[in-house]
Parts: sequence; C-alpha cells; structure tokens
Amino acid sequence: MRRAGKPGWYWTCNCAHNERAFFHQPRLTFTLCFHVGPSMTLNTEMQVNRIDDYLWEIPPTEKRGMLVPARIYASPAILGSMDRGVFEQVTNVACLPGIHRYALCMPDGHWGYGFPIGGVAAFDPEDGIISPGGVGYDINCGMRLIRTDLSLAEVQPKLEQLMTELFRRVPAGVGSRGFVTVHRREFREVMRKGAAWCIAQGYGWEEDLDRIEERGCLGGADPAQVTDYAIERGINQLGTLGSGNHYLEVQVVSDKNIFDREAATAMGLRGRDQIVVMVHCGSRGFGHQVASDYLKVFEKAMRRYGISVQDQQLACAPFRSPEGQDYFGAMNCAANTAFANRQVITHQIREAFAAVFESTPHALGMHLIYDVAHNIAKVERYENGEWLVHRKGATRAFGPGSPALPDCYRAIGQPVICGGSMETGSYLLVGTDRAMQDTFGSTMHGSGRTMSRAQAKRTVRGEQLLRDMKQHGILVKAVSMSGLAEEAGLAYKNISEVVNTVDGAGITKKVAELKPIGNIKG
Amino acid sequence: MPGTFRFLDDIAVADMAFEAEGDSLQALFDAATQALIQSLADPASVAQTWQQIVDVEEPDIETLLFEWLNRLVYLKDAQAVVFHHATLRLDTNPDRSVWRLHAELVGAPVDPSSQELRSDVKGVTKHLYAVSQDETRWKARVVLDV
Repeated sequence: MRRAGKPGWYWTCNCAHNERAFFHQPRLTFTLCFHVGPSMTLNTEMQVNRIDDYLWEIPPTEKRGMLVPARIYASPAILGSMDRGVFEQVTNVACLPGIHRYALCMPDGHWGYGFPIGGVAAFDPEDGIISPGGVGYDINCGMRLIRTDLSLAEVQPKLEQLMTELFRRVPAGVGSRGFVTVHRREFREVMRKGAAWCIAQGYGWEEDLDRIEERGCLGGADPAQVTDYAIERGINQLGTLGSGNHYLEVQVVSDKNIFDREAATAMGLRGRDQIVVMVHCGSRGFGHQVASDYLKVFEKAMRRYGISVQDQQLACAPFRSPEGQDYFGAMNCAANTAFANRQVITHQIREAFAAVFESTPHALGMHLIYDVAHNIAKVERYENGEWLVHRKGATRAFGPGSPALPDCYRAIGQPVICGGSMETGSYLLVGTDRAMQDTFGSTMHGSGRTMSRAQAKRTVRGEQLLRDMKQHGILVKAVSMSGLAEEAGLAYKNISEVVNTVDGAGITKKVAELKPIGNIKG
Repeated sequence: MPGTFRFLDDIAVADMAFEAEGDSLQALFDAATQALIQSLADPASVAQTWQQIVDVEEPDIETLLFEWLNRLVYLKDAQAVVFHHATLRLDTNPDRSVWRLHAELVGAPVDPSSQELRSDVKGVTKHLYAVSQDETRWKARVVLDV
C-alpha cells in the first residue's frame, strides 16, 4: 500500500487492483487495502507493500536507519492480526549493522524482546553484529519428534498409564530437576558435546545424531565464557521440560492428515493412526542466564563500538569482537545443552513407553524423526556466501540436496516441526529450495500467540480446560493449573492458517498434521 | 504504607508484566519483590523451611531493582526453591552513588504436591523497564520472560 497525499491519508494498493482508501485520522493504527478485502486493518502506520499473496515488504524509507527492507510472510488475514510490535521490531532489526538483504518475520510472528518472535536476519560474519535479542532468552529452544510403530488402538487403553509414566519420568514446571546428576567438569562436557555426550552415557542411540540439526553439537562452544550463575542455574536441569509453552505431547498421524506420502514415508510415517511423540523445550535456566549475562555485556560493548540500536533489547556487538565471540562461545554451550536436554528427555520417553507396553524402545520402533532449533544464531553457508543467521522463533528449513542433511532426508528436504497449541495439533513440514533462496533456509516455528497470558487466564480456568480437553480425547497432565490456562488453544493463532501461509509461499511444504491425545505441561 | 502491584495484561502477549508502586523506595522494592514471588508460586502454599541472605550493591536504583529481581530468578533455579516472603532493607551512601539491598529470603524447596506453582520465569527483561518517581510515589514497570 502506498501513501498518496493529504488532506487525510490516502493508501493505494501496490497491486493490479490499484484501488485506494481515504482516512481522516491518519494516526489511528489502520490502513486499508481493497484487494484483500474491504476491512483489512494493520497495526501500523508504516507503508506495507504487497509482493505476492503471502509476502509483504516495508521499504527502508519507512524508518530512519533501515539498511534493508523488512519482509513479512503472512496471508492478508494473518497480516491484519499481527500486533504493532511485529512492524516496529522487524524494522528495528533492519537497522542493525551488517544485515544482509532483508529483515524477515514469519507468519507466526508476534512481539518479542528485540527481534519479533518469528524473526530471521542474516549478517555478514566479518562486519556484522551478533545479538542475544535475535536468539532469545531460551537459547536453542526447539522441537523434537519421535515416531513409534504403535497405533492409537494400541495406545488408547493404556493412555492414562502412559501419561502418568511420562509425567513421572520427565519433570516439568517451576524449579524442576532432572534425573541426570552431573558435576561441573561433566557439565562442561555437555556444553561442548551436546547430544553426543548423552549417547556416550547411554541416553540414546547412535543413529539419533544423524537426525538432529548439526548432529546435536555446535562447534565453537566455549565453557570458559559461561558464568558460574549460568552453570548453577542449569546443572541440575538436564532432562526437564520447564513451563510456559513447553510441553511433551503424544500425537496421532492419521491417513487423512498426510499430505506428502513420499516425504512421510522417508520419515517413517505410515499413517493408520500411528503414534508419535513431540517435545518442545530448550536450554532451561542455563540458557536464560547466558542471555541475561550477555545482554549486560553488550549494553556496555555497544558504547565502545559506537553502535546505537532502536531498542535496548537489541543490544549487540560486532560478531568478530571479543564480546561477540565470547557470547557466541557461551551461546553454543547453551545450544548444545539444549540438544542434550531433549536427548535425555527422549531417553526417558523411550523408557516410559517400554515400561508401559512391556517391550523395548527398538521393538516399538521409537526412532527419532528430527530435532530442530528455533532460537539460535549460526554461521551457515549458502550459494552466495557465509552468513551469521539469527532465528528467533523461526526454524531452519533447508531444501532437498543440502549437504547439511542426512542421507535419509537429502531427497525430500529437512524435516520442520511446528508446534501448535495443545488443543489444536501440530504440523510436520519439509524445507524447500525456495527457502534457501528467499529466507536463509528458514520458516515458521509454531502457531504464535494472539492473547496475553493474563487474558487467557481470565477467559478459561485450568481445571475446566483439563475436563474439556479430556472430553475431546486429550489427556493432560499439568504441574500448574494457571499455567495450563495460559496455554489454552484460544490464546493462539490458527496453526493451519499459519502453516498454509508458509506452504503457499513455498518456503516449506506440508507433510502431515499431528493431532494430540496426551499432553504434559509445566 | 505498604506498596502495591498489579499485573499488566497486554504489554507482553507471550509473557508477564507488572507495575509496582509505593510511597517510598522501600515500599516499591517490597511490592516488586512480592509481584515476582507471586509470579512463581502462591506464597500461601509455600512453607518457610529455606532461608538465604542476599546482598546486592549497584550504582543506581534502577539497576539495583533489576539485579535483585534477576537474583530471585537465579535462586529459583539454582536452589530449586520458591519463596514465601522476603524482608528487605535498603540503604545508600551520603552522595547516593552506591545503593545496597540486604534481603532475608524465606521459602521452601519446590514441591508440586503441596505448592501452587505458577510460571517458571526465565528472566527479568529491559523491555519497557522503568523506575520512576512522581511527587508522592515511586513506580516500577517490569516485564518478565516466561
């Protein structure tokens, strides 16, 4: 849409329809675009140009200091529902030194700290910055999906027993501690080796590593850059879920919910009400403390390097500076710890299934489908060079043929796991060539919130939600009833609409929809 | 007069925010501390079996409150505890270049079977963070990442 003149403000679609609307109150937060419907409103006064049905662009002229355009992937309806923070924050990101091509926001985007959730940005490793605000407090928060050979008919009679066993073996909620006890020296090994440390201890299978982003271990982890505070917060939390939007979910894949049979087969999904298990969690208190520690470091460093940012939560430092490298070393420690956390949880899930079904994890076919980070900064190689890619609430989505993928997925592209609300279900997708060209191999990560936690708690009570979900065939085990209410499905965007946006945009392709039957929440 | 606090609904869609106020700095710190304690667990459900003395020293009030609240978050994870209450004592030097907080923190190890646990706060953020004073009252706005 294009601003056309005064008095009042005219807005003209930058599309074939070439229609325009007139407003007398330009400072109100709306614009209107007739080609997407007569009542489309946006929570910004900035000019937002339509590139195609699923892509919108804010030009660099819209904010002083923007170095590149900001691009938002969204259907018209999703764009209209995005909060003001998305537009402000994605354009703030576009001002950061060394940013390459675009600042991006995915359709599950909403306001975050510094970057919006759903934010993606690539920086020149030589003269660009690194920012904890582009990674998030929960470093390497991510998703993991484990398949089984069990069917719904086999699991349903034992679902209560299974969820109780999972709830017992995978601690969740405030202050929870995991079953793995490590001393500081061992914890440093976890920081360096990530998931491989777990495999060496017997918490997983060698084949698991092939099916984890970066094989569950980021190079460059430097435990010397981690504070004692961070170690003390995280050392007892291996194998814990946490709270907030983190969960462990038992799900069903039915035939009608498989959209790409070839890709599904490559991942071991055959449908026929097959049971899978999804895990969403990250680096817990360890990663949170690393983020807090380095935000303070970067606030001071910015003055030293003469960097100014639009938002204090975008504190950053040149990637090649001592501060930037220290954070990168500490962040990689947290990322590896998150991979280890999800690996230990996987071990516990396998043990729980084996106990309940009186079998072994191998006999139950409990292979890892994939594990992918959605809060991370990594140096990645693309056709046009190496870039430091920040993904915050955004998932890597490498296309077919990528050398970063294991043989089993090289033909179909990287599995992308997108978690929805505990009531509505989740999706499995694959990365595409288009993502490699347009989004630094990135896509959405979940459904994205639309309602505040306080409002959700006022709207629904945890105990009632628990009963309602049971009536709908979803058994929930929760540590906190108020925490459960905060995560009600009504607080989230419609994940199908978000997924259809990235599918329509061609940056990921749908493989299967996964419906919940059991959920564990902190 | 004791300080007061209220949770703010729509400042942080995915997280939590509160505004604390009091007619003195002491009251403000008490109220902000209570807001964070109540974010983690219902203090009425937390026994008084764990104690810790915490001292924090910073060059200004804003940083002192920020660091103190973050210290609570750290202790929650490092000690696996939730809190019943905190008794605070605030002081400064004559030129107000150093601010000190002495806190006696009381709570109990986390026990989901007996406590009403709430949000596992990850950190205190600088987003919209502010400590201000008008003619009669001190106020603080705090956004928590959960």
